[in-house]
Amino acid sequence: MSSALYAVMRKEFRQMTRDKRMMALLILAPTLQLFVLGFAANYDVDRIETATCDSDRTAASRALRQGLLADGTFIDVGPARDCRRPGDDIRDGRAKVVLVIPDGYARDLASGRTADVQVLVDGTNPVIGRYASSAASTYLNLVSARRQLPSLAAMSAAAGAEIRVPTISVAPRVLYNPAMRSAIFMVPGVSAMVLLIVTTIATAMGLAREREMGTLEQVMVTPISRSELLLGKVMPFVIVGLFDVLLALVVGTWVFHVPVRGSLAVLGLGTCLYLLSTVGVGLLISTVSRTQQQAIMGGFFVMMPAILLSGVMTPIENMPGWLQPVTWLNPVRFFVEILRGVLLKGAGVVDLWIPFVALAAFGPAVVALAVGRFRKRLA
Amino acid sequence: MSDLITVSRLCRSFGSFQAVKDVSFKVGRGEIFGYLGANGAGKSTTIRMLCGLLQPTSGSAVVAGADVARDPEGVKRRIGYMSQKFSLYPDLTVFENLDFFGGAYGLSGRALRSRIDEVLDELGLRDRSRSLTSSLPGGARQRVALANALLHNPDVLFLDEPTAGVDPASRRDFIALVRRRVAQGTTAFLTTHYMDEAEYCDRVGLMVAGCLKVLDTPSALKANHVPGALFEVRTARRGDVTAALNAIQGLATIQRIGAGLRVRYDPSPGRDRVAESALAADPDAVVEAAEASLDDVFRAVVDQEAQ
Ligand SMILES: Nc1ncnc2c1ncn2[C@@H]1O[C@H](COP(=O)(O)OP(=O)(O)O)[C@@H](O)[C@H]1O
Ligand SMILES: [Mg+2]
Repeated sequence: MSSALYAVMRKEFRQMTRDKRMMALLILAPTLQLFVLGFAANYDVDRIETATCDSDRTAASRALRQGLLADGTFIDVGPARDCRRPGDDIRDGRAKVVLVIPDGYARDLASGRTADVQVLVDGTNPVIGRYASSAASTYLNLVSARRQLPSLAAMSAAAGAEIRVPTISVAPRVLYNPAMRSAIFMVPGVSAMVLLIVTTIATAMGLAREREMGTLEQVMVTPISRSELLLGKVMPFVIVGLFDVLLALVVGTWVFHVPVRGSLAVLGLGTCLYLLSTVGVGLLISTVSRTQQQAIMGGFFVMMPAILLSGVMTPIENMPGWLQPVTWLNPVRFFVEILRGVLLKGAGVVDLWIPFVALAAFGPAVVALAVGRFRKRLA
Repeated sequence: MSDLITVSRLCRSFGSFQAVKDVSFKVGRGEIFGYLGANGAGKSTTIRMLCGLLQPTSGSAVVAGADVARDPEGVKRRIGYMSQKFSLYPDLTVFENLDFFGGAYGLSGRALRSRIDEVLDELGLRDRSRSLTSSLPGGARQRVALANALLHNPDVLFLDEPTAGVDPASRRDFIALVRRRVAQGTTAFLTTHYMDEAEYCDRVGLMVAGCLKVLDTPSALKANHVPGALFEVRTARRGDVTAALNAIQGLATIQRIGAGLRVRYDPSPGRDRVAESALAADPDAVVEAAEASLDDVFRAVVDQEAQ
């Protein structure tokens, strides 16, 4: 290692460790954020507030309501306030779902007619809305099917021959995350996000701060090469980032029970490549910023789309076709693929060759671009 | 060739504004060269071009054998620079700053450590080595910046207002340290707006609005660029005397100093006219001929420019 590169790294580490707030930002903040966001970014839907408007008031109607509320997906918030306008309870936020059982429900069932049951669902949050309507339909279809069985039996008895009703028995077996807990899926994504924010902003601000303070002028007048200076400035953040990932793994496995099925070495390699990309983006931002404020603005300008187009929040496959290719320029996307692949599926470098190659190309390219843009001159 | 700095027709513009206009001069080995000028005259812009930090708009400059436009990194290896704003890391100790900048100059290991010890000794900073630079008083801080600029034994030292905002005693100490260095063969280029500091320079260039107006030794400047005669008038009635003197034909400048007035009168000699008017206004006034100072040179050149 060149003595100049080593000198820059030494200096960066000294400044970093002396600045308590910086240390908190680099070590404590990511861990806390993962802890909090891991709980917050939870797409497991249950405990959907449900009001009922039972105009039938029979044993059958009560049984229908009890059944819907049985497994905890829906919880009872009591009868709807006005059965003439059941939507009111959804509008004022008292309930997300209103079950409307009209007068005559039991009578219709008993006489073999189709009984109309209405389920009103709040679609404001599509995730909850979709889940609620599908859970309610599943339940009501099941009730309906159970109702048909005695009739079929009676029919076959009357016909004197067995009537065969073909059915498909479905037994899905869910791999990798059998309980389908969203935390296991979200925690790797949130880790990638937090790591992006911390390392990009810290590197983007580092150079801008030196420019503002005037120390960069004193550095520029030494014969240090641009790459020694810039690499020396970002390497410490790569090392801190690796440490952050280690902490994230600890929090992820202990608090959120995220499995570690693959090799830590593969994860380490992926993290190094990813961090090279994030600090490279930070460097690039700092070469176009004069002040720390501009660096922060530039950082957010880049990070917002990087996070939204990463597949952390929403699946990339659900994005419109023209937008999907944009995610190929996004290192967060690839690191999330590596994290999820290694942790949840135990995938190796060969399985994940696409994201590995992408990051191995992106990181050095963006760092080289930043070094090329940087000028050891004023104005 | 013993010229360590050769500047010819150097210009620098920022947009349409010309900060440095057609400047030429040479500085020889072992010389202390002073650049004198008001704020905004273009001193820092010149020094930054000579350090390879700013690309000249036109003209050329060769410093210690390297062309500042074509080989700025070559220049940087041979020079030490102290910028006008304190620009070492305030959150690092003196030693840590020197350790970093020495490394940036390619020094390492034992060689670096012994160089740091040497400059700390040379500048009397031994016992400050573990202090944060932000905790140092102004004078010590400037000496650390000088130590930093000397780490790699440069041929030329560029000091941009090195003593700005420092108390007079520390300023004298600082200049003495620079002179000691120069006596050992280093060349120094410094900018200042303290006239007394300029007096210590072998030659002084005077910059006005981007132009190098005059350039010579301090004594030659004083002999050749202050037309007329100088007087100091001691009086308790400064207002009356000023009014009386202002009425005289040929009075070039009149300025308040300590307990009286400093007057330049051209055409010289005009002692009789000055004394006559002053005594008429205040019979107790004392009129004495005065020596020209660099300050007078500066005023005379700026006045001439204004006309
Ligand atoms: N980077 C820059 N961009 C625009 N104008 C500048 C820049 N640097 C200096 N100037 C202008 O050039 C002039 C000379 O500045 P400078 O060389 O710093 O003067 P001095 O050091 O003599 O006080 C000033 O008017 C200043 O505003
Ligand atoms: Mg200046």
